[in-house]
Amino acid sequence: MGINKTAMDGTLESSDIQITVSKGTDGVQISLESDVKKRFGDDIIATIKEVVKKFGLDNVNIKAVDQGALDCVIRARTITAIQRAMDNSEQPAWEAL
Amino acid sequence: MDIVTREINLDVPDQFEQWKTFLESLGIANFSGDEIDPLDYTIGLFDGDQLVGTGSYSGNILKYIGVSHQHSEDGVYFNKVVSNLLTNLGQHGVFHVFVFTKPMYAKSFEHVGFKELVQSDDAAFLETGDYSITDYLESLPKVNKSENNAGIVMNANPFTDGHRYLIEQASQASDNVYVFVVSTDKSLFTSSERLNLVKAGVSDLKNVMVVPGGDYLVSYATFPSYFLKAQADKVRYQTTIDALIFKDWIAKHLGINVRFLGTEPNSKTTAIYNQILEKILPPQVEVKVIKRDQNDGKVISARTVRQAIKDNQISSIKNIVPKTTYQFIVDHKDDLQERIKKGMKISGN
Amino acid sequence: MAENGERLRRTMMFVPGNNPGMIKDAGIYGADSIMFDLEDSVSLAEKDSARNLVYEALKSIDYGDAELVVRTNGLDTDFFEADVKMMVKAGIDVIRIPKTESAAMVEEMESLVADAEKEFGIPVGTTHLMAAIESAEGVMNVLEIAKASDRMIGIALSAEDYTTDLKTHRYPNGLELRFARNMILNAARAAGIAAFDTVYTDVDNVKGFLAETEYIHELGYDGKSVINPRQIPLVNQVYAPSEDEIKNAENVLAAIEKARKAGSGVISMNGQMVDRPVALRAERVMKLAKASGLIDKEGHYIGK
Repeated sequence: MGINKTAMDGTLESSDIQITVSKGTDGVQISLESDVKKRFGDDIIATIKEVVKKFGLDNVNIKAVDQGALDCVIRARTITAIQRAMDNSEQPAWEAL
Repeated sequence: MDIVTREINLDVPDQFEQWKTFLESLGIANFSGDEIDPLDYTIGLFDGDQLVGTGSYSGNILKYIGVSHQHSEDGVYFNKVVSNLLTNLGQHGVFHVFVFTKPMYAKSFEHVGFKELVQSDDAAFLETGDYSITDYLESLPKVNKSENNAGIVMNANPFTDGHRYLIEQASQASDNVYVFVVSTDKSLFTSSERLNLVKAGVSDLKNVMVVPGGDYLVSYATFPSYFLKAQADKVRYQTTIDALIFKDWIAKHLGINVRFLGTEPNSKTTAIYNQILEKILPPQVEVKVIKRDQNDGKVISARTVRQAIKDNQISSIKNIVPKTTYQFIVDHKDDLQERIKKGMKISGN
Repeated sequence: MAENGERLRRTMMFVPGNNPGMIKDAGIYGADSIMFDLEDSVSLAEKDSARNLVYEALKSIDYGDAELVVRTNGLDTDFFEADVKMMVKAGIDVIRIPKTESAAMVEEMESLVADAEKEFGIPVGTTHLMAAIESAEGVMNVLEIAKASDRMIGIALSAEDYTTDLKTHRYPNGLELRFARNMILNAARAAGIAAFDTVYTDVDNVKGFLAETEYIHELGYDGKSVINPRQIPLVNQVYAPSEDEIKNAENVLAAIEKARKAGSGVISMNGQMVDRPVALRAERVMKLAKASGLIDKEGHYIGK
């Protein structure tokens, strides 16, 4: 499954992460910008991937700009962005929670 | 102290003055109408009543970003401003965003996810979001990169025999020709009309590919220049950025090794543009200037065509445009004349 | 009335629900209650974002002993149902009902909360409620609101909307809030639940904040809503018991213990009978003393 439109959540402020999801054709592609990419980049990407998987998405592009977000923030921002892209913001994403 | 984020309405004189004074204190001096009027949205960070940061956007281009350095630590204000603008744009469905800025600020934008496309002495050009120049290049038809490949960029407002002549020259001299039609929608003929007329006008030339310029081959005059110290440098800066995009991305990726240019005897900015291209593109991309095709000793120009539409002298242009263009104009005469009446300028490009 | 373990509720800190920095740090300032806000501090376009963020934070961040409260969007909004469901699932301690005006509103919230508890396999009754009073209608009905549900643990005054409703605004002397403050406090006490005072927005005015806190402390409020962590120690300072109060409370508790050991039903101290209210107050004083760091583990007074 994929998504058809672009959506974003999160900010560029400290402790947050800005997640932009958009239509993809080549699997789950994640690009990450983070000051702590060397140490935590793999963890951040793994957290995002886990959420993507729960939504059953196989094709999606994700741009993540991290400002030192905790895991729970990464999860929340990814969930919201994906729900927005699926036009489903007011239904809790039980599958991903 | 808590920082409050509020929209600034530049039509309110007091708010405009505060905004302008703040940006002037940061060394920004150009508040001309053609830079300010197109602004869609302006945000301010306030510490009490004091403005400590601001940013705007016009279409999908961020402009007039400035933050107080006195109080801001580690780019906190900068990130707040850019974040607010991107969120607001996203709420309007705009996710692909550009910024033109002084080279010294390129790093700050990269830190918040922007990618630098090109940088000159005067400016850096960056983008972010759900689309990139790589996506654009991927969308174009591919040719053998080791062959002799030419590129032409034109606005074609509308497509004339002069444009056709330039493309023919390139077509004969090269294995493949990319014709990029500028996508900026500020001309009498819309970008899709212009693109389609070029396609129709060269459909017999088998080695020519007509493609939209997308967000990257645009009218360089639309590049914001408010941050330049000397406004006299404006055209040089704009054309340099344009030339670098062509060389570093378009030509490099597609294997274009020649750029064909038409002369423009009546335009000073086109002359500067051509000079800059000749300075920047070689040696990777050779520049070939083709002298303008003439009709009864007169230079063929799209401007003549637009004037004839305005003056309702359609038959006068029959000999200087391809049949396909002529037919389109005949079929859409009323609509085109209506656009001119409504204020669409016919001068310029 | 949900519980009367006399939990300390001196401070309820407001945390905007869409601010990861503040959500991350909310537990480190020693607030007795933390209120995550999904309502006024979150713009319409970010309601979904805040809801998911608070949910994930509640699921993974350890806020220690603090009581966790969520202010949902109003019962008349499109966001409210999803807010309640997700917060119940996240295991929130208390849901704060905004703009409460009648017992019926509390009952409506209660039935939605009960449904959510059943849906997610949480024992029915686990999630507590509190009501924010923000209008004249709410103040006039505050007693029925306070008694509307066994889940209710408190009532709070929210003065910004209330003063607007009264066609006035906040004044430094607080005269405009006198009636509401007394109504709310008395209703809370009649129902056996807590009373929370409104926020004080001028964060830089320490003197004004202290004066207002002393005033509501005198009235009998359990505590105050705070919007900035810097206000927490100030409230705690006002609520700290004096050395005399502590010594007296220690005597009361010692007398109770003595009577218990002697198997006596009658407790007396200095020839006076120690009744239930006196005993409860003594317990509360010792709790406050402990929370204020005025006694050590063995109960010795260490304040100066």
